[in-house]
Amino acid sequence: MKNIILGSALALTSVFAFGQVDRTKAPVPGPAPEINIPEPIVFDLDNGMKVILSPNDKIPKVSFNLVMGSDPRLEGKKAGLSDMAGDLLMSGTTNKTKDQIDNETDFIGAYLSANSSGMYLSVLKKHMEKGLDLMTDVMKNANFPESEFERVKKQYESGLFSVKTDPSSMMSNAMYKAIFTDNHPYGEVMTEETLNNIKRQDVIDFYKKQYTPAGSYLVIVGDIDEAQARKIAKERFGSWEGGVPYEKDYNKGISPQGNRVIFVEKPGAVQSVISIAFPVDMIPGDENQIKLSTLNKLFGGGGFGTRLMQNLREDKAYTYGAYSSVDVDRKGSYIKAQGSFRNEVSDSAITQFLYEFNRITQDMVTEEELSLNKASMAGSFARTLESPRTIANFALSTYRNDLPSDYYQTYLKKLSAVSENDIMNMAKTYITPNNLNIIVVGNKDVMESLKQFDADGNIEVFDAFGNPKIETNYTEADISKTEVFEKYLMAVTQTSKMKKANKKINKVKTLKKNAVVVPNQAPMELKMTTYFMAPNMAASKMEFNGMVLQEEKFNGNKGVTKMMNQQGGFDTKEMTSEEIADKKKTAAIFPEFSLLCNESDFELLGVENRDGVDMYVVKYIIGKTTTTNYYNKENGLKVYSETLEVTEEGPQSITAVYSEFTDFKGFLFPKKTAQMIESVGMTATLKEVEINGKVDEKLFEVE
Amino acid sequence: MKRIFSAALATTFIFGLHAQKSKIDFVEYDLDNGMHVILHEDNSTPIVAVSVLYHVGSKNENPDRTGFAHFFEHLMFEGSKNIDRGEFDQYIERNGGTLNANTSQDRTYYYEIFSSNNLELGLWLESERLLHAKVDNKGIETQREVVKEEKRQRVDNQPYGSFMASAFDLLYEKHPYKWTPIGYMEHLDAAQEEDFINFYKTFYVPSNATLSIAGDIDIEEAKVLIDKYFATIPKGQAINLYRDYLALDNDAFTAKYGKGKAIFNDKDFFNTTSKDGMAMINEYKKKETVIPRPNIVEPKLEKEIVDTVYDNIQLPAVFIGYHSPKQNTKEAYALEMLNAIISGGTSARMNKNIVEEKELAMAAFSFAFPLEDPGIALFAGIAAKDVEIDSLKNALDIEINRAKNELVTETEFQKVKNQFENDFYSANSSVAGKAESLADNYVYFKNTNLINEQLTVYDDITREDLMKVANKYFTKDARLVLYYLPKK
Repeated sequence: MKNIILGSALALTSVFAFGQVDRTKAPVPGPAPEINIPEPIVFDLDNGMKVILSPNDKIPKVSFNLVMGSDPRLEGKKAGLSDMAGDLLMSGTTNKTKDQIDNETDFIGAYLSANSSGMYLSVLKKHMEKGLDLMTDVMKNANFPESEFERVKKQYESGLFSVKTDPSSMMSNAMYKAIFTDNHPYGEVMTEETLNNIKRQDVIDFYKKQYTPAGSYLVIVGDIDEAQARKIAKERFGSWEGGVPYEKDYNKGISPQGNRVIFVEKPGAVQSVISIAFPVDMIPGDENQIKLSTLNKLFGGGGFGTRLMQNLREDKAYTYGAYSSVDVDRKGSYIKAQGSFRNEVSDSAITQFLYEFNRITQDMVTEEELSLNKASMAGSFARTLESPRTIANFALSTYRNDLPSDYYQTYLKKLSAVSENDIMNMAKTYITPNNLNIIVVGNKDVMESLKQFDADGNIEVFDAFGNPKIETNYTEADISKTEVFEKYLMAVTQTSKMKKANKKINKVKTLKKNAVVVPNQAPMELKMTTYFMAPNMAASKMEFNGMVLQEEKFNGNKGVTKMMNQQGGFDTKEMTSEEIADKKKTAAIFPEFSLLCNESDFELLGVENRDGVDMYVVKYIIGKTTTTNYYNKENGLKVYSETLEVTEEGPQSITAVYSEFTDFKGFLFPKKTAQMIESVGMTATLKEVEINGKVDEKLFEVE
Repeated sequence: MKRIFSAALATTFIFGLHAQKSKIDFVEYDLDNGMHVILHEDNSTPIVAVSVLYHVGSKNENPDRTGFAHFFEHLMFEGSKNIDRGEFDQYIERNGGTLNANTSQDRTYYYEIFSSNNLELGLWLESERLLHAKVDNKGIETQREVVKEEKRQRVDNQPYGSFMASAFDLLYEKHPYKWTPIGYMEHLDAAQEEDFINFYKTFYVPSNATLSIAGDIDIEEAKVLIDKYFATIPKGQAINLYRDYLALDNDAFTAKYGKGKAIFNDKDFFNTTSKDGMAMINEYKKKETVIPRPNIVEPKLEKEIVDTVYDNIQLPAVFIGYHSPKQNTKEAYALEMLNAIISGGTSARMNKNIVEEKELAMAAFSFAFPLEDPGIALFAGIAAKDVEIDSLKNALDIEINRAKNELVTETEFQKVKNQFENDFYSANSSVAGKAESLADNYVYFKNTNLINEQLTVYDDITREDLMKVANKYFTKDARLVLYYLPKK
């Protein structure tokens, strides 16, 4: 009996306990614990090194992170040099072979690595001195043996070869190229060609310039006290000598004129890796940085609740994950949104990305969405403090980026002050939904569906290394490249023999063309006049209501372009040597006529069928300009011309469509020329052609 | 940024040891319903990791529903009786936390990490997941596609991405390790609502769950909260009676149980005033939950299997695979040491001999994949450009034979011990890592304290043991040779 009572009493207790739990409501957390950010210890060495110390004796290990102070360098034809030098650093010193360094490092169970921007050692406290012997020997005495140089070069060849099927490498190459171009170290990508240009001496020279104490940082974290750290810094690093760090500014990233689709083919891909990226004008510590980070967080900056995740994963199920990031760096900053999507929904995914970019610039975020994301960011910040390295990294970032000394101490306060209006302002300031690079790495089958997103409908195709790829869908031509040009020249001169065509063209001493140009977006008529004078002088003028907007002159040796600026004055630019070379080769009444003088300047790619018409495709590259012309196989006339020019502001593409060939003074000229410069279109109508009339030589004068 | 490739593939397979500096103190106990609880207090940072490990993985799957355990893990974020779709994550984020989960061949692991004032919230969330998770059709269909995208992203679209799946498939004949946790596309397509209900009722019960908490907690306070949210969940099959009560309409419930739903209290199911209701609850409490576990013993390999996968790759690769010992056995630790000597670090044999000296490979590495049941060991190489794949395979064989025929040197043996000591102090530096190690050690070995014994397990292993294990497992006539060649 007693037992039964006891039993039911127990049962009752447990039932009672269950009844007490109100499971319908989430428990409300108590006040958040206070967050302390301990101050690291910072001191300078006489040779220009700054030492940052964060002692922590939780585990008997210590790490030394050496960070060089130089800015990145442009490497041009030797792109990848710094990476290769970094990889070779541990390949031997004046005291030790690579095998000795590797064996001795592994034997003490240490981790030691080096790259172009610094070194890192993580070691048990009891092996610290031995670890530092190895680290400082490499730092001061690396000697890059020839045999290792050759071996690593071969390794790189294998690596570069394998890039061609690796979607993430292909994406990152294309993205950095698109944003920063060849004129910025971030836009430089190693290729088989640039690898071949790198010599051992280049590596040695790079190391000597790059590895220098002036402007560098030594970050010490772990089981070490201040006195010991000061002693080690002074003895191990204080006697190191070197030159001054390199400083250089570059472009801050190039925004495309309109949305620009770039495609990189990955054969056999079952998913498209899609990245939407664009530069932002921001340096670390910018007063807007925390606000923009908050925008990014709620947009796609981590977690399952962001707009990108909710839309593209939780609602549409297009992807395993879609994320955005804002990368703020002294030398160039950008925003990107990225994910992998099955082939069939690649275009739908881009539509949703664009929808989200538009939405954030148009609709105010709610207080609820904002506060949730701010809370999430505050939590992440607090969690990073679990690692002792965080505190040291805060200090490193503060000094490297010249941040206010209380930047991280006040981070949470600034974060909590971010308002809905701030997010709207950030969106309006930094997000330009019509100036995006839309980069897709994927199966060729999806390419057609991406055209709709490109401002001018022309997708740029890049190779695995981020360089424009020439499509090779051509069938073999039945005639030679000179015959294509000759066929064209006979057609426009309306002759049947080349001899006659030459004669007719040579007779032209001057040429003047008047045309009316109407931009697609504005109902205004511009007057365009072009002049030519044999052998190779050329000039052109664009006017509106008698006012000259733009002018270009070439006197056969040099040239100048003038363009009206917004203040009503003129910006005058002399032609570069490359532009002059271009003009010299193409200044003729028909560029093909002068190009024929040098057969090696152009090549015949083959025959392509465009819109049902077979065309000969001829390409020529002069300087940084690549021109591809399409000639009707039937009648020889030039129907399309595509020009890609790499300018300071990034690549610029011009396409022209010629139609209504009409007889002007015995020559066939296209009456209509439809031109697209990036996403801006215009149509020119040829009104009048004058041959061997009076043309004032002064028109070509370059003062 | 200019470098376009990385050795990430190789480093992916370096498995860390589980270790720490000074002793990790913990308390552990069972709740009445069979749930195991592990608590570790570390007040150095004001954060806490709350985790629940369910002892179910892909090896518990029906062979025509592969990938199901992982698919199910995705669905466990869809909500519960008291949490709507999408809210699970919001509770975490609004309180500054993070969450995730992962599924292996042997277990499924869920965790949240946040500042320590959120301990109770974490317990509530996990108790909702255990007691009455809820998934609607939209959730199932969405996560089905999401999981398929995960497979494409991690496996199908990655160079060599399918090698794990291929190696396991070819090395196992009967054991469910034959398939990997991501499963097959057609099985993911075939999964039905019925499958989810059965899986939940079979494996997501307190006696199959381990609650592991590490961080800035007060052990006694934590115990009270755990009692509140978990000890109140009844034992045996009563939980599934309750789940049916929620899921079935009255007719279906009556058909199944012989009594209508009216005898239960809608507000407080386990506290009904109906005698019949209480009787039925008590009856189901007594019905024990038996977790089905595969007891299939994989037969010994009898021959050398040679196969080729044609993949979207540039450089050929070769993988040589063997059966390996169960985890946490002396043999498994010996094999781990041998692997470190062959492949751990720049000075290791495969890198020195095959990559650097002979220049046959872009990357070469070996690793063991220890699992609850006997797993696999792999030797792998990705050929350097213009290298014949067979010369690379021969180079791998030379290293394998050397391990079988020669004792490792004293220096190598000491080196690997030093490396393990270093790893020992690096591992478990975070509360999240500790919570996971503690749970794994309990579930797999019923020895939670293994976390404190990690360095001593190597003490009684000799160089001869390494040679012995190589000879026992690296059998020439019973192994897999798997080639990856570029698709034409």
